[in-house]
Amino acid sequence: MNGRVILSARNLGVRYKRRGGLFRPARYHQAFSGLTFDLYQGETLALIGRNGAGKSTLLKVLAGILRPDQGCLINHGVTVSLLSLQAGFDPELPGTDNAVLSAMLLGYSRAQARACLHRIAAFSELGSFMDEPVKTYSSGMRARLGFSVAMFLSPDVLLIDEALTVGDRSFREKAEREMSKKIHSLQTVVLVSHSESQVDKLADRVIDLDQPGGAHVL
Amino acid sequence: MAESFSSSFPPSSESHRRLAPQDAFQWAFDAMAERRWRQAAGRWATLRVVYPEHPPVWIQAAVALRELGSHGEALSLLSEARARFPDHPGGWVQGANTALAEGDVALAGQLLDEARARFPQDPPVWIRSAHLAQATGDPERALHYNQHARDTFPDWAPAFDQHAELAMAAGDWDSARQRWAEVRRRFPDHPAGYRRAAMVEEQQGRPREARRLRLAEEHGIDWLEEGDRADTVAVAPPRRRDWRNFVDLVWTKARLNLKAEANRNHLRYLWWVIDPLLYMAVFYVVFGLLLHRGGEGFVAYLLTGLVPFQWFAKTVQHASNTIVEGRGLMNQVRISPLFFPLVAVVQNAGKQTLVFLMLAIFLVVYGLPPTVHWLALIPVVTVQLLLMAVVGCALAMIIPFVRDLINLVPTGLQFLLFCSGVFYTLDTIPERWRDLFMANPMANLLHQYRRILLEHQWPEWSQMGWLALGCLLGLGVLILAYRRLEGVFPRVVVE
Repeated sequence: MNGRVILSARNLGVRYKRRGGLFRPARYHQAFSGLTFDLYQGETLALIGRNGAGKSTLLKVLAGILRPDQGCLINHGVTVSLLSLQAGFDPELPGTDNAVLSAMLLGYSRAQARACLHRIAAFSELGSFMDEPVKTYSSGMRARLGFSVAMFLSPDVLLIDEALTVGDRSFREKAEREMSKKIHSLQTVVLVSHSESQVDKLADRVIDLDQPGGAHVL
Repeated sequence: MAESFSSSFPPSSESHRRLAPQDAFQWAFDAMAERRWRQAAGRWATLRVVYPEHPPVWIQAAVALRELGSHGEALSLLSEARARFPDHPGGWVQGANTALAEGDVALAGQLLDEARARFPQDPPVWIRSAHLAQATGDPERALHYNQHARDTFPDWAPAFDQHAELAMAAGDWDSARQRWAEVRRRFPDHPAGYRRAAMVEEQQGRPREARRLRLAEEHGIDWLEEGDRADTVAVAPPRRRDWRNFVDLVWTKARLNLKAEANRNHLRYLWWVIDPLLYMAVFYVVFGLLLHRGGEGFVAYLLTGLVPFQWFAKTVQHASNTIVEGRGLMNQVRISPLFFPLVAVVQNAGKQTLVFLMLAIFLVVYGLPPTVHWLALIPVVTVQLLLMAVVGCALAMIIPFVRDLINLVPTGLQFLLFCSGVFYTLDTIPERWRDLFMANPMANLLHQYRRILLEHQWPEWSQMGWLALGCLLGLGVLILAYRRLEGVFPRVVVE
């Protein structure tokens, strides 16, 4: 890799408490441990592994949502965002309000969210439904709105959790097109995917969380 | 009937029972598509017996034979083809190909010279000529023929493919890149423009660009061009929200929560007036009209305590479980967990303004008109807001770790209701307990409310000051604690 290192994971480990309480000993599920890798500017890194291997958990750690139990994550001064679709949607509120709110939760300022609103509406192709409460939407329409809000986000590092499949067929193609574009602009991307073809098409490097220490397979 | 039936069919002769040539040839083309050359050569030989008057049975047969390495046989078939079909360039073009494969450059050159003279309007002739020139080490001539092909047949992709391939063969990668871009521009749906260009990028050690080109084959030329353009609408989020954006977010969320809450009911915002009105009416009827308890002015005394206390109770009850309820959002976006209880505080404050308005109207009707002292409500309400923020945030912080506590919150609030002097006056408390009683911040605040609203006096500033100081200290401690727990809550709330 030719880019500079922008995130460094050193011996990362996360475990979840499975059960336990006042009178029962706690038992833990180790999602992953001893994970060490560097993320370079401009690369696309794919995380693979079986269910429960800790792929999504690792994304949350990278996003700064979770603090790891072991090891540390060093951020060399970059912004990192998890691509969250439909974050904070309230079914009682119209699409416009939800778009602004969701955008603000993702890190837009209110002015930025307002400025993007007509583009969000246009991209989602929801038309007059933007002013209807989200509870009247079909799940596909909700997904469209969620994706359209997240689409304009462009942090230094974008984390994507199998989010490329939303809505009906035509919108999915449109969404994939936009996502691929995003991934291939200068942005650094970490993505979780079960689809091997997707990984092949998009990723520079793959980390397999089933291997001890997250062996690089590419 | 029988007659008309038979007449509707053509007479069954040998020639009509035969397959149309194209359909028959498909049989052999299938074998060629699967690169089963021996089978293909056999099928063409069979077809040659039935359809000798069609060029493919000669020319395609030769192609199959050439693939098998039987160059001599192929050449003789092709010379036959040239004799039989003088208007069909295939005999010459394939003849040249086969001659080249055989290594007979002279024959290939001769055939292509003839072909160029006979069929100047046939594009493959020029491509093959360029190919031969390249193969015989004359790239300039190759380029010349290719140029002719491109100029004469600008809508024919292979000419442009060859142009780029010539650059690749020469190792001129920059030209190759430009020429493949030209191919893409002219023929956006032509796969080679992406695939071969990707190979150029790979050759140049740029796997990322190569992948982008392969993806572009899927998404189209527009996608590629859009990607080249700088995205002007992209929003770069901050590393960490600054406090101003955080406040704005809390404010927006609280406002929208109120809107959503109103949308759930038919009477919408009216409920925020009806609810406290009914509530006050109940107390007025029970204590003021039925029981005649507490003497003159008791209803006013009761309500001036009850309204602020209910505000406190509702807010704390609401805030205490917000972090657990915010587990979904907390795991989706990076946000300070303080967001959740603070939204509850602001949201309830919004509703409370109407309740206070109702109370004010009641007091005026009751014969306690506003005085200048009401101005002191501003600091009192502010201190109560601070207090609710501290208590709400503290409970919201502890409850994810000790979930059972949530069951004690209503009881605790009930207890506080009886300890805060809502239903009894301060002078019913023995003198020696009074300091202890006033140490309860809610009791203290209610006392200040009543001084302002009922006694038309200024509040006890020193007590207010101490209370505010305590709240600010508590808030400081809480902010630090929340900072430390920020990465812990998302896990604790799902465990």
